[in-house]
Amino acid sequence: MTSVNPSASALRDFDATTARWGRLTMIAGLLFALAGPTYLVFFSGLEVDQAKIWTALLAIAGTFGVLWFVEPLTYYPILGQASMYQAFMIGNISNKLLPSALIAQSAIGAKPGTRRGELAAVMAIGGAAMVHLISLLVFVGFLGSWLVSVVPAEIIAVVQTYILPSVLGAVLVQAIVSTRNLRVTVIAGVVAASVVFLLVPAVPTLAFFGTAIAVISTAVLAWFLRDRSAASPSQPVPEREEEPARD
Amino acid sequence: MNLRTVVDGASTDILSVANLPVLWICALGVFAVIVVQTVIYVRAARVAAPAAGMSPGELRTSFRAGAVSAVGPSLAVALVAVALLTVFGTPAVLVRIGLIGSVSFETGAASIAAGTMGADLGGPTYTQDVFAVAFMAMSLGGAMWMLATLIFTPLLKRGDVNLRKVNPAVMTIVPGAALLGAFFALGLGELPKSGNHVVAFLASAAAMAVCLGVAKVLRRRWIREWALGFAILTALVVTYFTVGAGLFPVA
Repeated sequence: MTSVNPSASALRDFDATTARWGRLTMIAGLLFALAGPTYLVFFSGLEVDQAKIWTALLAIAGTFGVLWFVEPLTYYPILGQASMYQAFMIGNISNKLLPSALIAQSAIGAKPGTRRGELAAVMAIGGAAMVHLISLLVFVGFLGSWLVSVVPAEIIAVVQTYILPSVLGAVLVQAIVSTRNLRVTVIAGVVAASVVFLLVPAVPTLAFFGTAIAVISTAVLAWFLRDRSAASPSQPVPEREEEPARD
Repeated sequence: MNLRTVVDGASTDILSVANLPVLWICALGVFAVIVVQTVIYVRAARVAAPAAGMSPGELRTSFRAGAVSAVGPSLAVALVAVALLTVFGTPAVLVRIGLIGSVSFETGAASIAAGTMGADLGGPTYTQDVFAVAFMAMSLGGAMWMLATLIFTPLLKRGDVNLRKVNPAVMTIVPGAALLGAFFALGLGELPKSGNHVVAFLASAAAMAVCLGVAKVLRRRWIREWALGFAILTALVVTYFTVGAGLFPVA
């Protein structure tokens, strides 16, 4: 089936190049991302107990594990092969990369799912990545580090102590709004409140996995209590405007 | 600076280990990889463009459109990242929050990891040991998304995994339920810590609700992009004053 059509072979070359280099660069990114914490844990002199890491990872897996599989599957039809390797390394997919790709496609009148649309998306994500890297280096790497060094210690202490509730309040509201499902919201709220205020105080050893217990119970209950009458099997891809866990 | 005096697992001086030069080098390595990937992709697109019926001008337009439309969201991400610098240090924030991960997943994962060690992020129990375990665990958690991408993308391209065979209700209900369950549990878990934690949580939630409401009424996308940054800043400012006024006993 060797094609003599030059344009078909050029596009095959594009697929082959982006698949090979997309994969290689993503593996390199993965290794660099793991190298930092690996150094800290094993070679910095901290002598961290490895068992603690696996316990922590297990608790995280119980909480976010389902998203590890669902998000790549969800975004593939929108992004296509080449951009998958860009998007899941650069991050901020739904709030930055997808809008960039859509704006580029409409700027040149290319439809998503076509070859023109695919190339426009690859170029747009490339442009977005460059802007993002520069803005991170300048505003976080240089200005941010400088800001932290000049802000008074008492303000730093307040930020450190209360940053978590300050992030989670907003993230929870964002998650509720973007899920747009009152039934699941109520189930999640009741389940999580029972775990946090009843189960964990009663059985403190469960505190380690409290969040994972809440997530798994919510998922199971939401599945069995789902609104079967409104089931719409024609819905192809859950398109959400915001993806709170991993934007 | 002598490493021996800086690294001490029981010390709460997180930033002296979080900003170690090796961590900076690894973070800049991720930046370099993304630059290399972008260069390779742009060249491949340039070669393939004529075959797809695209002019060099259209390629340039696409790149520029992507760059311009990313300015707002990138700055919004940078604002949130700066707020987290004191907790994770610059290299971890750049890689985990700025790039590969996201604010909500990474802070959630770090909080869960600290919890398994009986510690709180940012509190007096947040030692260098806890930071190291949390950083490693959230990096491994983030690595799973990349591994899933590396494994699924070739399978999906070949058509081995047919998404239509998966029950669509599973794909919509289960992830949504998992997200809500996770952030309800993580958020409510902050409330028993102190009155100031309750203030921070409620101020943040209220500020986000106001931002999303205003964004909807005025139909302004940028308000939604900046909402998380605004909400975090609002909550921190409000909490700074309640802490200063001594309304609640300190956690």
